[in-house]
Amino acid sequence: MESSIIDIGLGQLALGLLFILIAGSASLYHSLKLEKDLLTGTARTFAQLFLLGYILKFLFKIEDYSLVLSIFTFMILFAAWTIYGRVKEKQISFFLPVFFSMMLSFFFISFIVTAVIVGVKPWWKPQYFIPLGGMIIGNSMNAIAIALERLLKELRTKRYEIEMKLCLGADYKEASHETLKNAMRAGMIPSINAMMAVGIVFIPGMMTGQILAGADPMIAIRYQIVIMVMIVGATALGTLFAVLLVRNRCFSKGHQLLLRPGNR
Amino acid sequence: MIQKTVIQISDVSFSYPGKQALFTNISITLKKGCFYLINGPSGGGKSSLLRLINRLEDPTRGQILFNGNPIASYHPPLLRRHILYIQQTPSVIDGRIRENLLLPFTFISNKDLAKPNDKRLLTLLKNFRLDGIRLDDHAQNLSVGQLQRLCFIRGLLLSPELILLDEPTSALDDESSRIVESKAEELCLTSDKTVLVISHRKFKPEKIVPKLLHVANGRVKEREWNPV
Repeated sequence: MESSIIDIGLGQLALGLLFILIAGSASLYHSLKLEKDLLTGTARTFAQLFLLGYILKFLFKIEDYSLVLSIFTFMILFAAWTIYGRVKEKQISFFLPVFFSMMLSFFFISFIVTAVIVGVKPWWKPQYFIPLGGMIIGNSMNAIAIALERLLKELRTKRYEIEMKLCLGADYKEASHETLKNAMRAGMIPSINAMMAVGIVFIPGMMTGQILAGADPMIAIRYQIVIMVMIVGATALGTLFAVLLVRNRCFSKGHQLLLRPGNR
Repeated sequence: MIQKTVIQISDVSFSYPGKQALFTNISITLKKGCFYLINGPSGGGKSSLLRLINRLEDPTRGQILFNGNPIASYHPPLLRRHILYIQQTPSVIDGRIRENLLLPFTFISNKDLAKPNDKRLLTLLKNFRLDGIRLDDHAQNLSVGQLQRLCFIRGLLLSPELILLDEPTSALDDESSRIVESKAEELCLTSDKTVLVISHRKFKPEKIVPKLLHVANGRVKEREWNPV
């Protein structure tokens, strides 16, 4: 087995642009009007990934754990901000609860993976901690966004049922228990489905990358398994904390539902 | 005989967030064992008044006392068990009639209450002319009128002191309405409960003389009952 990766030269990279030309021609021929988007997309892919490459090269040289953790925190801050923008909710503010739940659960999972499972020394070694953390954040961010969207939507649409339970002596947790469960499920199902389909329906990108880089497929699958279970764990923990904290904000101390219908 | 005050509303103002004031400095006293009929134009705040009394909403100003204590001093689930509010639109969970009737008994704050047996439930259903219904039937299959009665029964199982009924007969035919209205009157007469009913219908109590609360233009006025 080949032990080192074959380098792609800049000329070869440029040759790759032929694929974009094919897509562009198809767009022109069928008047899809996608040429401009294709052009910007290609330019952004090149620019963003080259930039990322340089940043990672720089990051991997860092030997200060506080700097690595600051970068990790910044990534989570950005992810929490993305969720905040995606979940359209004006009545309650949920940025901080989401940020704290992500911080707590993602740090915990990333730490376990690098320190205990992979056994990296030191555990915060940026070459491991940052990409693994990034995969957790990227995947679980979607799960949290889906769960929160579901939670807030159901608290509004099922307002009558929730208030009926409150009127019959339920506390706010009892009254919104079904909604909480549905939101958690909605957030977790995609990562569980991914576990079902992996290796049959698709070969994960990370594993493909490792194999192309010359790794033994048997090592690559082990990493992939760790990644998959890590994502499920982070998704479960992150979604649970986020949904619990945000639900808390949707009710007053007097166990009153604060979300008003049609006032998002 | 001096009747005990159950609810004392003092200088209460209320508005929904970002909306105009619904009530400004209203004061009302509700007496134990009395029957109150609430009327007034749509959007005038009739339902909101009931929601304030069982603390589904908090006043923006003023105070509401229940048996002499501020309602905010009670644990909200317990307060709502004693001041029962039955919503206008009947709401049930996805399940059988029995599960729906026993739903309140699954909540922690009601754990001290004895769970009624099937015999008692069937008697109650019969009393409300729901005798064709079995406890194992699915609640979703009932008509709106039947659901309204089911929700009424479910609430009564909690033995509340004060019962707030929001248009309890809006989906009922004349005969069923009469049953619900007469049950509401009985609660007042035989069990000394305080009953508040919002009713658009020409509700004419037969056994008792109600007090009339007219809710309009941010005010609540007590008026004499005029059955004509």
